[in-house]
Amino acid sequence: MGEFTYVRPHSLQEAVRLLNEPGVLSRVLAGGTDLVNQFRKGEVLCDRVVDVAHIPELRTIQDGTPIRVGAAVTHAEIAESRLLLERAPILVRACRQIGSPQIRNIATIGGNVVNAAACADTLPVLVCLEAQAIVVRAGGVERVRVADLVTGVYETQLPPGGLIQAFEFEAPPPGSRMSFQRIGRRQAMAIARLSVAALGAVEAGNGNRVSLLRVVPGAAFARFQRATSVEDLLVGQQPSTERIVAAGQEMARLFLQESGGRWSAQYKEQAIAALTERALHEVLSP
Amino acid sequence: MKIEFTLNGEAIRVEAPASTTLLQLLREHFGLTGSKPGCEVGECGACSVILDGRVVNSCQLLAPQVDGREVTTIEGIHGPDGGPSDLQLAFLEFGAVQCGYCTPGMVVAAEAFLRRHPSPTRAEIREAISGNLCRCTGYQQIVDAVEATAARRRDQAEGRGE
Repeated sequence: MGEFTYVRPHSLQEAVRLLNEPGVLSRVLAGGTDLVNQFRKGEVLCDRVVDVAHIPELRTIQDGTPIRVGAAVTHAEIAESRLLLERAPILVRACRQIGSPQIRNIATIGGNVVNAAACADTLPVLVCLEAQAIVVRAGGVERVRVADLVTGVYETQLPPGGLIQAFEFEAPPPGSRMSFQRIGRRQAMAIARLSVAALGAVEAGNGNRVSLLRVVPGAAFARFQRATSVEDLLVGQQPSTERIVAAGQEMARLFLQESGGRWSAQYKEQAIAALTERALHEVLSP
Repeated sequence: MKIEFTLNGEAIRVEAPASTTLLQLLREHFGLTGSKPGCEVGECGACSVILDGRVVNSCQLLAPQVDGREVTTIEGIHGPDGGPSDLQLAFLEFGAVQCGYCTPGMVVAAEAFLRRHPSPTRAEIREAISGNLCRCTGYQQIVDAVEATAARRRDQAEGRGE
């Protein structure tokens, strides 16, 4: 590990000031479960680590319109949140499946997003919830859609010296349902090979037609985006098994189009279709 | 830099470079070699310690991250007389130890879990130790030991004893 100093700000203002101090290359540390590994491998160098894990604004889960989840809230805290279990159960489900208890107890949702691994479990869910990141920088505060924030594998458009304070999203409307489907090589301590997050609603008064649908694949593409061509096959339609199968096929087609002929594509093509079908059945079945 | 924290119940003040991991600090500065270096990337759990009541990998923490906090290592887990705890005795009783390298981390993870979940199911115990790899026992005996300890502690809390 390279040499660096460590500082622990206790307010957002102090953190932003430290991160923007001229002549000092600072890195944000929240839980450190990715960053410490990167330090050890020599992949990251900096002059100073700014530990944001104790800043009150980053540590709270707040109900309201929108719901707000602090960036330094750990996966374990999300997994144990009654509020989120009620309002955004897919976020709870995704966080319960990350890593191991040891990882979940220290790793944070903000770290999962900013690290921006293709297999990050909170990313498809946050995009499905149409979450926005509250980004604090020296010049002020801005809101960036999580779908736009992550620009590629391990790449974000977080500005230098910027810090995510929290994520905000509207609670899904009453009557809607959510699903998070994931496969890894084994259940614990295995990164997602593929996942699908979905949110949908069927309007009973309208001939049981799909009135709302968002489908977001994870670990499949370089970015985390809604699969609108998959959604379009069902929105305004009755969610028949045939249409759900067709939607799964469309997801597989998108996947093949982008990932091309990787060795794993033959398996993943079928797996992502099946995960999509499962997610759609869960959110749209009567 | 100066780091102050509580280590196995004792207030500690130590000077260490910020880039020291908690695992290095424990082993090399304090000579507490019960926390084991295994994978050193957070996969194996051999370095598990309890931080403010929750199990974490000490290889993935910078030592200054524990400033002001409470750390319990395997050396801080023992019976009232300083001998093995009920959980540690159960590990012996059920044959939950072979080579022993994973055992401190396993005991630490199980102890942190039992303190928060006194009445776990077998599935919950398996989940609780899912971050600790054991290549010898096949896990069954470890789960047996944790399950038996939970049952005995419940009995004791209800005054039935054994």
